Amino acid sequence: MYSKQTTVVNKAGLHARPASEFVMKAKSFTADVTVRNMDKNGAAVNAKSIVRLLGEGLGTGTKIEIAAEGADEKAAVDALVALVDSGFGE
Amino acid sequence: MQLKGNGVSGGIALGKVYLYKAFQCNVTAGTFKQGEEQHYLQQWADAKTAAQAELEEIIRSMTAAGNDKAKIFTAHIEILQDEEIDELVTNAIRDKQSLPDWAIDCAFNEFIELLSGANDLLIAERVADLRDVRARLLRVLKGEKEKNLSQLSEQVIVVARDLLPSDTATLDRSKVIGIVTEVGGATSHSAILARGYRIPAVLGVPGATDSLQDGTFVVLDGTSGLVLTEPTDDDVTTYKKKQADYLAQLAAEEEFLHKDAALRCGQRIKIGVNLGNKSTPENFVGSDFVGLLRTEFLYMGSDHMPTEQEQYEAYKLVVEHAEGRPVTLRTLDVGGDKTLSYLPLPKEDNPFLGKRAVRLCFELPDLFKTQLRAALRASAAGPLQIMFPMVGSIDDVRRAKAFVEEAKAELDARGEAYDKHIRLGVMIEIPSIAAIADLVAKEVDFASIGTNDLCQYLCAVDRMNPDISDYYQTFSPALIRVIGQIIEQFDAQGKEVSMCGELAGDARAAILLAGLGLRKFSMSPSSIACVKQALSRFTLQEAQQAAATAKNLATQQEVFDFLASCGK
Repeated sequence: MYSKQTTVVNKAGLHARPASEFVMKAKSFTADVTVRNMDKNGAAVNAKSIVRLLGEGLGTGTKIEIAAEGADEKAAVDALVALVDSGFGE
Repeated sequence: MQLKGNGVSGGIALGKVYLYKAFQCNVTAGTFKQGEEQHYLQQWADAKTAAQAELEEIIRSMTAAGNDKAKIFTAHIEILQDEEIDELVTNAIRDKQSLPDWAIDCAFNEFIELLSGANDLLIAERVADLRDVRARLLRVLKGEKEKNLSQLSEQVIVVARDLLPSDTATLDRSKVIGIVTEVGGATSHSAILARGYRIPAVLGVPGATDSLQDGTFVVLDGTSGLVLTEPTDDDVTTYKKKQADYLAQLAAEEEFLHKDAALRCGQRIKIGVNLGNKSTPENFVGSDFVGLLRTEFLYMGSDHMPTEQEQYEAYKLVVEHAEGRPVTLRTLDVGGDKTLSYLPLPKEDNPFLGKRAVRLCFELPDLFKTQLRAALRASAAGPLQIMFPMVGSIDDVRRAKAFVEEAKAELDARGEAYDKHIRLGVMIEIPSIAAIADLVAKEVDFASIGTNDLCQYLCAVDRMNPDISDYYQTFSPALIRVIGQIIEQFDAQGKEVSMCGELAGDARAAILLAGLGLRKFSMSPSSIACVKQALSRFTLQEAQQAAATAKNLATQQEVFDFLASCGK
């Protein structure tokens, strides 16, 4: 298990295109990946499910924790944090 | 309630609404016997595969058509492949013996509920995507195809957001008695089709698919552009009377159909027909020539680039059906709103100002010359002339003519027969070519005025956009003057000019056009009788006086008022 925390910085939040990109990136790893809304102290949800991710309503400014478990867990978390921090090119 | 739109095809229809919309399915709770889990899991897997194949096909054809909405369907594929939805459905089937439709419905409902709670517009939009994917899965699970208009069980008034060329291509004319759409103006594809089929139509009715309920009885007035929901008995009586009057008027015009067209003073006018590709002998009734043979339909109705032989046979059939009437074949005019599935074109920000018609053909010499060879060969079967659409300069005219020379040389090399003196002409539909009509007349054998595009480009109005349809003014003094100048210049050079745009088939314009000097009017077969009747009401002198007056009126409304007073 490996995890990191970050903040959603892009304006649109993890919705629409950014959410799709996030899920697609998560799916490129074999590790199980989850996302947790730290602001709401929510439960960790499957980062490879677009509907689950959208359901979390992770708008701009939300603090999140990305965690992964599996062979490529470190690579997965680092890549996803980097993607979120990049602001999805907005 | 009364809905208002553009009455683009006259006549009255009273009938049931057929909402041409996504599949609707009511799911009820249901389970199966233990032990059959594998069978139902397989059904779920198959439904996903089938739905995905449909979506991929939609994306493929939309992308080929340059439609940027294709990304909506990419999002649908994402939902279809969602792990959590799959898990919920699979668990319900495997552990609770839920029938697949019930399992799908429950799984999607769970997420629809989750997302509906979000105070975010973007997420709310995704709820619509979830519903859409659910409907698609439930439909393919039932083995049903997507709805289309080819298999209707009774006569209906079709209500849709829009009708695409592919919808109208398969539409069953005997069942569709009226058309209502949310988008589209008088010269949209749907409108031209509706008039051609004489189906009363009201287009550009905002929210029509929400306000009109499937199966309810409505009255549609295609002449004034009204749709009445929940009509009273009085309404029904009134409109049945209007319908009878309209049909009687049609019958009166019908008498004119078989007469030669002439003004009251005896001045002869030639009447042409505008045809799509598949001609039948009835298409030619009451006409003297074929002013426009659109060749796009041959390409659009095919899943591959039509071969020279296929085109040759289609063109030859038209020439034969025309029985000696000269046929004006317009070369391929795609791009703009017309796209081909097998010819992906890059998306353009302004397709109507982009690479369409000859501009595209010049870049695809094989395609262009294949069509030209087919057309040339058909000219051996009877009188045929070739016309180039969307030329904007003398350069374009000369380039197109050079292609014809190349095609001729290729046929000569093969020893094929064709009319060595085939006449070549152009559509006048871009203001830049209208402005130099005198120079054009020297380069070509004939021209035809395409008023739809000419008006669109002259007035800078997208004719597909209902929001600005008021700006699309085919009776504007500006267009009248331009048309007058084109005719004058061609007359001065002794070259033939006709008109094949919608204006030529508009009875209100008949006196004006005859007065401007037009002697060849080409229109859809359904307009012929009405225009002949209108022409018969005036002498040449009256028409000339009317045209002279109209040219000096200031606004379109003044032109309308003036023309209405002429009829009295």
